[in-house]
Amino acid sequence: MESSRKQRWQQLQSVFEPGFKQMLLISVLLHLLVPILYYTPLFPKHEIEKPPVYRVNLVNKIVKNPQAGRPEAAPVKQKPAVKPKPKPEPKPAVKPKPVPIPPKPKPVPVKPKPEPKPIPPKPKPEPKPEPVKPKPEPKSAPKPAPVKKKPQPKPAVSKAQESALEARLKKMRAAQKQKASEQARKDKLAALRAAAIAESSNIESPTTDAPVGMMDGKGDQAGVSAVAFVQEFIQKQWSFSKYQAAGSPEAEVKLFYNAHGTLLHYKFLKKSGNSVFDESLIRAITKSRQLSQPLPESMEFHIIFNLKDMLDKS
Amino acid sequence: MPKLTITRLLVMLCVLTLLASGCAKKPVVEQPVAAPESTQVEMTQQQPAAVTEQAVTDTATNAYDAAAAARAAERAASKGLARIHFDFDQYILTPAAKSILVSNAGLLRAAPAVKVLIEGHCDERGSDEYNLALGEKRALAAKNYLVSLGVAADRMSVISYGEEMPIDPAHTKEAWAKNRRANFKVKR
Amino acid sequence: MKTFEIGVLLIILLCLPFSVAFAARIEISAPGEQTIPLAMTRLLPMGVGAAQPAIATEFQQVLLGDLDLSGLFDMVDPAAFLGDADKLGLRRNDIDFNQWRMLGSEALIKGGYRVTAGRVTIELRLFDVITQRLLTGRRYVGKLTDVRKIAHTFADQILKSLTGEKGPFASKIAYISKRTGYKELYLMDVDGYHPIQMTNHRSIVLNPDFSPTRKELIFTSYSKGNPDLFRKEIYTGRESRLSLKPGLNIGGRYSPDGREIALTLSKDKNSEIYLLGTDGTIHRRLTNHYSIDVDPSWSPKGNKIAFVSDRRGNPNIFIVDIHSLDVTRLTFEGKYNATPAWSPKGDKIAFSRMDNGVFNVFTIREDGTDERQLTFGKGSKEHPRWSPDGRFLIYSNDLGGEKSIWIMRADGTGGRKISARGGNDSHPAWSDRW
Repeated sequence: MESSRKQRWQQLQSVFEPGFKQMLLISVLLHLLVPILYYTPLFPKHEIEKPPVYRVNLVNKIVKNPQAGRPEAAPVKQKPAVKPKPKPEPKPAVKPKPVPIPPKPKPVPVKPKPEPKPIPPKPKPEPKPEPVKPKPEPKSAPKPAPVKKKPQPKPAVSKAQESALEARLKKMRAAQKQKASEQARKDKLAALRAAAIAESSNIESPTTDAPVGMMDGKGDQAGVSAVAFVQEFIQKQWSFSKYQAAGSPEAEVKLFYNAHGTLLHYKFLKKSGNSVFDESLIRAITKSRQLSQPLPESMEFHIIFNLKDMLDKS
Repeated sequence: MPKLTITRLLVMLCVLTLLASGCAKKPVVEQPVAAPESTQVEMTQQQPAAVTEQAVTDTATNAYDAAAAARAAERAASKGLARIHFDFDQYILTPAAKSILVSNAGLLRAAPAVKVLIEGHCDERGSDEYNLALGEKRALAAKNYLVSLGVAADRMSVISYGEEMPIDPAHTKEAWAKNRRANFKVKR
Repeated sequence: MKTFEIGVLLIILLCLPFSVAFAARIEISAPGEQTIPLAMTRLLPMGVGAAQPAIATEFQQVLLGDLDLSGLFDMVDPAAFLGDADKLGLRRNDIDFNQWRMLGSEALIKGGYRVTAGRVTIELRLFDVITQRLLTGRRYVGKLTDVRKIAHTFADQILKSLTGEKGPFASKIAYISKRTGYKELYLMDVDGYHPIQMTNHRSIVLNPDFSPTRKELIFTSYSKGNPDLFRKEIYTGRESRLSLKPGLNIGGRYSPDGREIALTLSKDKNSEIYLLGTDGTIHRRLTNHYSIDVDPSWSPKGNKIAFVSDRRGNPNIFIVDIHSLDVTRLTFEGKYNATPAWSPKGDKIAFSRMDNGVFNVFTIREDGTDERQLTFGKGSKEHPRWSPDGRFLIYSNDLGGEKSIWIMRADGTGGRKISARGGNDSHPAWSDRW
């Protein structure tokens, strides 16, 4: 057995000798790519397991590849026209817009967009001059406490940025030597602080400034994901009072919507056993027979209904 | 170990001083020191009792009629038995209350035919049921002290009204202090 | 080489399941609306006979009061009602459900009344607007004075349909009132109407409790010179002394099966909790401590009794097992905890706690966890007692200078005064379903 296998292997090797291993490797990599790609927004599968707790503004369009943004933001902003198109250069131009949004969730470190940040770092070096010592490390620089964490969050600084900073720093130091007046420096510091504070408050701006999208959105379309939309839509149709609750009921329902957003059929995969609870779900589903917006494609949803969030609150 | 014994000694010392002071207070005379306002009222009320007691001795000297003397003693008791007061949520007799009870005991001993009903009361604070039990504890505390002063137990009965029969219905500290009490009613 | 090959295979196999598309899974962990939108139309006259709008008005007012107290509903504004509200049609097919759905309502109450020869007939329907189903339909016939009772009874029915458990609105509340100058026993409806004086002892009557099995009350009265426990049959008015031991005979509470009564006796010169038979004989002594033990309250299973004791210094709630007589302490917070009332559902014990001279109502679990304060603010709130379904609590509140009976939901919301002024009303007790 052993030997015959070896023989075959050698045979194969002889046939594909030159690039076989490499090919095999590529094949493996490609296969690995499948699941990886599967979880990227490129494949808007309906597989999002744990719907986050955000609210969705139901007037927002349902799109396949929602961009980074806030699902509850009002679509008032017509900016989309301005921003998205400059696709050609993926990194720089496009990013600036989304940047202000991410304050709340994780700022999607995937993208090297932190272009806007570089600006704050610049001011930082200035305060540093105080210690007169030539600090090579820009990172330690942000010591000037007054300037809120704002600067810190930008750890996304790339090597290039670092070196740029260093260069700037050097310049600064030179310039600083020239500056005789301590007073002037202090003034500048104060101004810097004010600016930093102003900017930080900017970044934490309310959702009204945010573009329509999903917090975890990685696509480029202004809109919300179908899953988030359907979740919000059906939840809104569901009326149930905590004074009706007995125990912690949970039911699971399968719903099938066509691309027009019309419910074709539904089925209880699991009833809660509490008829009052189950009937409230039937009412919610009946009220959700027609979604207020079409879906990108026909879709099937498995919805688990329970009262975890309501009973916790009480 | 030495610590333990020291604390033990301390506790014993405390207990001893308490006992000593308790004994010291029994003599009737010495209580003007710590008489709070409310009990002061009682003391002035008690004065007339002494006056009527005078009347008893008067008739007694006449020696005409033992029955008349008994009636007079009864009258003296029914008029002279003063009420006592308690601290909040307490049924322990205060020194002032004890001195009143001593005087009450004298009246009762002088009128051996008299039976008395001791009523325990509470102020309006606290729960009704709990106060019924507390009022009874107060009445019993008074009764037991009178027994220790030589009044026969079978001459006295107790009842608790809890917070149901305030003397002063106001919701003030003064009213509450007045209402936390034990009354003595002569039964014939 | 071989391992390499196998590894590749493995990886491919592992990856396979991921490439199968699933339906999207969504979890909805709370309803979007936490009340049920309900439309309630006015009763319309049925058939011949003069219209008596007063009946419809009274009915509507009573039913609305009950539904509001339940906390379940969000009433659709009648001003928005469309044509269907003015049509008597009570059958499913006669109703234009789409109208009601447009108004956002999910449930609909329609009804009609007829008066013939001094009798009133009221027909009522509760519909599910969304699925267009009849949830419950009832016809009631009674005297003209029964309209309130009919409304309460239908409110109970609505709760049954929408929660699975009947409401308590058609039951009674006993309480002590001083309207005559003496503390006497009274009965009233759950919304405070129809107060009836039950005793005329011209003494002090206290702390009533309903028999769970008979139309009968027990209470304490001083009418014979001692705080004795009395029993009174509600309909015959017959009254007798059940326990007249020397000293206190107070705080009587029927066991859940109605066979025994827990109460406080002080026949041995100290207050202790005892069990009596319904003939007044002592079955068992439950506590044995020189401190004050009062205020028994049965667990719904009838195997434990919560009570108040100052055996650890201040009044606190303790629980005694009536078989083993083991005593455990329930409350540790606060300096003065009293008047426990065990929920008929068994999960919670309500009690009142005094802080700075003011009582407030709290609940706590039997194991001493999850203590919650239900009432706040001015007024001393005492003597909480549960509705038979555990949904509501009644209590006395001296807000405004005199005590009166209040009602609230078991979570402390929706509190409102139900007894009329001038009675200094206290010591409420809620009957079982009447």
